[in-house]
Amino acid sequence: MKKYFFGIFVIATITSVVFGAQYMRKRHPVYVGARQCAKCHQGKSMGHQFSKWLDSKHAQAYAVLSKPNAKDIAMFSGVPELPQESAMCLGCHATGAHSEGWERDETFFIEDGVQCENCHGPGSEYIDVMGDRDQAIKAGLIMPIVADCVKCHQRKDSHLKVHALPALNMDHAIKSIAHPIPDKWKITRMPKRPEPADPSANQYVGTFACEKCHGGPDKGYQFSKWRMSRHANAYAVLGNAKAYEIAKQEGVKGIPQKSPKCLKCHTTAYTNPAGGSLDSYNLDEGVGCEACHGPGSAYSQQAIMADSSSAKAAGLKEVTKQTCMQCHENAHGKTFDYAKASEEIAHPLTSEKVVEKTIYKTPLNMALTPNGKELYVACEASKSVIVIDVRKLKKVDEITAGSHPTDVTFSPDGTKAYVSNRLDDTVSVIDVLSRKNIATIIVGDSPHGLLTDRTGKYLYVLNTTADSISVIDTATLKEIKRLTAGHQPWSLTAPPKGNQIYVTNTLSDFVEFRTPPVSEITIIDTINNVIEDRIKVPGTNLLQGIAFHPSGDFALVALNRTKNLIPMTRLLQGWTITNGLGILYKDGTTAQVLLDEPGLYFPDPTDVAITSDGRLALVTSSGSNRIAVVDLKKLTSMIDGATDYEREHILPNHMGKSLEFVTAHIETKDSPRGILITPNGKYAFVANSLDDSLTVIDIDKLQAIETIDLGGPKVITQIRYGERVFHSADNAFRRQFSCHSCHPDGHVNGLTFDIEPDGIGIAPVDNRTLRGILDTNPFKWEGTNPSLQRQCGPRLAVFFTRIQPFDAEQLEALTVYICTIPRPPNRHRPLGAELTGAQRRGKEVFERATTNSGNIIPQKDRCINCHFPPLYTDRTRHDMGTQFEYDRESHFDTPHLMNVYASPPYLHNGIADTLEEIWTLYNPEDKHGVTNDLTKDQLNDLIEFLKTL
Amino acid sequence: MKRNIIVITFLLIVLVAQGAFAADKKMAKLPFVYTDWKHYTVKDGLPNDHIFAVKAYGDKIWIGTEGGLACLDKKTGKIQTWTEADGLPWRVVSSIDINPKTGEIWLGLFGGGLARFSGGRFDHFHQMNSGLVNDVVYGVAIENDNVWVATTAGASRYNTITGEWSIYTEKNSPMEEIWNYSVTVSKEKVYLGVWGSGVLEFDIATEKWKDYLDPDGEMEIDLYRDDGIVHVITTGVSYVEDVLWITTYFGMSRYDGRHWRGLYADETGLPSDFGNAVKGRSKNEAWFGTDWGVGVCADFATDTWVTYTMLPETHKGQVIVSRNNKILEVFDTPKGIPHNNVLWVEFDDKDVWIGTSKGLVLAKGTGYYEGLKLREVHEPKKGEIKTYAPGK
Repeated sequence: MKKYFFGIFVIATITSVVFGAQYMRKRHPVYVGARQCAKCHQGKSMGHQFSKWLDSKHAQAYAVLSKPNAKDIAMFSGVPELPQESAMCLGCHATGAHSEGWERDETFFIEDGVQCENCHGPGSEYIDVMGDRDQAIKAGLIMPIVADCVKCHQRKDSHLKVHALPALNMDHAIKSIAHPIPDKWKITRMPKRPEPADPSANQYVGTFACEKCHGGPDKGYQFSKWRMSRHANAYAVLGNAKAYEIAKQEGVKGIPQKSPKCLKCHTTAYTNPAGGSLDSYNLDEGVGCEACHGPGSAYSQQAIMADSSSAKAAGLKEVTKQTCMQCHENAHGKTFDYAKASEEIAHPLTSEKVVEKTIYKTPLNMALTPNGKELYVACEASKSVIVIDVRKLKKVDEITAGSHPTDVTFSPDGTKAYVSNRLDDTVSVIDVLSRKNIATIIVGDSPHGLLTDRTGKYLYVLNTTADSISVIDTATLKEIKRLTAGHQPWSLTAPPKGNQIYVTNTLSDFVEFRTPPVSEITIIDTINNVIEDRIKVPGTNLLQGIAFHPSGDFALVALNRTKNLIPMTRLLQGWTITNGLGILYKDGTTAQVLLDEPGLYFPDPTDVAITSDGRLALVTSSGSNRIAVVDLKKLTSMIDGATDYEREHILPNHMGKSLEFVTAHIETKDSPRGILITPNGKYAFVANSLDDSLTVIDIDKLQAIETIDLGGPKVITQIRYGERVFHSADNAFRRQFSCHSCHPDGHVNGLTFDIEPDGIGIAPVDNRTLRGILDTNPFKWEGTNPSLQRQCGPRLAVFFTRIQPFDAEQLEALTVYICTIPRPPNRHRPLGAELTGAQRRGKEVFERATTNSGNIIPQKDRCINCHFPPLYTDRTRHDMGTQFEYDRESHFDTPHLMNVYASPPYLHNGIADTLEEIWTLYNPEDKHGVTNDLTKDQLNDLIEFLKTL
Repeated sequence: MKRNIIVITFLLIVLVAQGAFAADKKMAKLPFVYTDWKHYTVKDGLPNDHIFAVKAYGDKIWIGTEGGLACLDKKTGKIQTWTEADGLPWRVVSSIDINPKTGEIWLGLFGGGLARFSGGRFDHFHQMNSGLVNDVVYGVAIENDNVWVATTAGASRYNTITGEWSIYTEKNSPMEEIWNYSVTVSKEKVYLGVWGSGVLEFDIATEKWKDYLDPDGEMEIDLYRDDGIVHVITTGVSYVEDVLWITTYFGMSRYDGRHWRGLYADETGLPSDFGNAVKGRSKNEAWFGTDWGVGVCADFATDTWVTYTMLPETHKGQVIVSRNNKILEVFDTPKGIPHNNVLWVEFDDKDVWIGTSKGLVLAKGTGYYEGLKLREVHEPKKGEIKTYAPGK
């Protein structure tokens, strides 16, 4: 019996241990900050490790993001945010940049830049077992190797372009930050803070307390300026060999960091012990703000600091020469140039001096006030709406809008103008009488076109990236519903009668792999605010401008016919991208014609307008700086006279037919986009987006009679020149297309192309975004182009332009411009937002090292191994098991994942329509990360996390 | 004068005679009974006679069948159909709901996932191309901007604004079994009818779950009556006026937030305890689709029921009105439900649409009234009483 009970006991014990261990959840490590590490890793007996870090560039990595050239680097990385607020920049300039607030202990400060835990991992779980290296590693301690350093210290063209520093010598760099522990190490206490001299006096609060208000650009980045100064290193330098030498010379015995004599001028508190210090103060901050401005406990509150006299009364000291001379006079035998030193550490309490940048206007689209007296022009670059007096043809005002204003429309009564802000996901509401921006409406991702219904009760906003249409109640300025559009809704118009709005969608629907594109015209029923119909336009993409004939019988749509399935060699036969018009009849049928001529194409037809008498249509070609004048009677007669076969197969592809109905071309300035004809039919206005002007056309004469200057800078910068090159088809064979034709808004056109030289349909590749790509080289899915210069130069000449490559000036300008195309803010994780539950679980999957059954996932098969932050690409090629029938390669470049949700389809050939399909359909052998053990909810979580990157 | 006297006398005689005749008619407080039925089958243009779902929306009746989707235009009487050849992603349409904000039609596809039908375009969501947990879909319901999907492997929620898919299974909800049969929403809650896990209630604001299980366990008898849901094998759930109406394979339940009431065929007008679907019309009235016809709890307060079945011999309809399990009226109608296996019930103002295994039927509600009304009791003709309730 005893044996029986003993057996039960043993089994129960084993079971409880095994299962208890299995179910004991591992605690999630959090960042604790360098000062927690310093509690052991400081002092001579630990090789002054903490001071070595504090005196290194790593400790200043956050602060340097305040420098003007950091903004330039950000610009060349397509980062629209301030560098100190950008996850991209902070990814290498701070620690735990991608962690959430709860993953950082209150002792952690991101302002400490690249600190211990950046390389060694978040420390909360191993900090207490550091005495045992193996145990510490089990608890999460990372002992980095050089490859880990390279994740940040790899070549970044954006940085080289700005600071032109030589390539980092990794061996030298490793030596310079070496911080070995002495063989006979011993943990010693941090030097004590000085005893208070006067307990009733103010206490020190520490520089991090000052940073709360004095950190940002509105205060001239004062904290960062201090952090980059030698004052901030003053304590740390006491740990270096030279300090020991000086101390010896000055008769200091022992360790300088423990010597009150040294500390008196190398720390804040020892300068004047005052009333002591609060816990927020750290001796290691060296000579901080309060060393000069006095202990801050009584004046540091924001309310007191806001009033200088109050602050002064509470102890804020005025800094004089004498303040500095207390320490600097004959310090270590050195002379002190007060004026020069003052300049060096100058940190004025004023907004950062704005460096005069060349800010263009970039007019995109326009709208006339209902009374016809004023023209409002949405200007993308200047974040404004420019008001034109139509009678005087002069600019009369400029109204601030949001970021990237794209389109504008008026309420039917003319009292309000609505402006879509593409980068902000907002609509600005402008009071027309006062010309003031009076409200902002939140809408969906990347709003483009917008229009009200006839009553003005509802405003329809096209959320281009979200494939949706926001319906806004104009009385409350709230979104009341969101309708499903086609793929990337772009522009919209209403027929002359009825209650409908027609919407163009610029990208093709998702179609079966290797089948021609099909685009959609979405029709909104404005009575019920529902989608009434969807008209499919076969063989097309880039459906953009749309206008109705005054009879209401048909609408015209500017479109491309991109033959992406044929090899690019057919370019020579003039048959890759053709440009034309769609005719959409009220019975839902469609026809298509080309505006190209055999030897001279009409690249990037962008917008269309029809005269009020219905005689003519004017179409802009942003790629060739022209307007085509279409005789509509001739056009409709030609279509009406065609057989069904001709209408379906001949007219959409026949480049000679345009001669029958295009009666004239009118030259414009650079990159004409929006076009509008006055209701009296006398004039047309054309927005020359890259000339900051409007061309005025006399409709009777069909001539440009005036150019209205919108007041942009007259100098053409290299970036602007590059922008013009990007949008111009001049270098393409017979001017068939521009860079913009495949990269509208600097992004993707959602198609796969066969651009290789074999000419037999091999190796189709998905189009990739240009937003923020500079540092993600090499380029091309096969990773064969090391730089944008090569990508846009020789490669483009071979495969696209054929005869006329960009010259050196054009090429440099083009690549510089491409680098500045901004990456829109992530819509699934606003800046600084915590992750949702699903996103957080997805992050765990992304970073996991074991399968659901507990098996170790080899390092190379983990998501984060190739897609590590901040770029989320290792910039090398891998075999993901995605080589298909038409592919000649098995290894493909690792794409970055930033805003990955916005660039379907996926994989090198665009075969996956959704993120899910990457793993449900195209990862059968777990070559693209180990994912086949994931449950469906885990895969959903992973995707929710990926959307935040 | 004489003439007047004669006329008055005649009128008096008529009135007296009428009164005497009226006194012979039996009057009682009774529910409205549907007697005017119209059938729709493949002969009328439906793609298939197995009707799995019906949704009335404005002038249109959307019909999900085993062989495709159909839409009946009530104005014109015409039926339009969609099969896979027309772009319908999967032929078996098992459930339908319509987003009242956008007018988008969401289709549960049995074995094919989920589809959105908008402006003539079908968008297909399935377990390979989306976050949908499983392609065997039984139910779909719209909650604000979310689409809830009841599947054989859990429930999915799709946020149409953010594109986020959430999955609810035994991992994160009290779903003891994951076979979700139906889903319905109220203003504040989402209810899942789960085969083997009773009814699960999801609070939209707090995202917390609550389960309603059979306190008697999985026994197929109700040991202690009215102590909870009658059985955990739940097939349908409908919420109206703060009352939950529930079907199971072993009886039905009504829950008013405080009190449970079990409803069984041997005690009520239910033709069978095997419930396929339920639709509540009010807190007082619910229609239960069973494998032997429709049982209508016409007035819960008085336990008054109307049972509609099809007489197998004649294919005529039969109506039984009962109260407290006592028959008050029985009569035949020339038409009734076309098949006794009733899979769906949908209200369309006063009319009712019923999906069966052999076609769709419209019960015309001309003169419909709620609850009970004093009316003449239908007296059966000789030989008419022939109750057909084989499920009892």
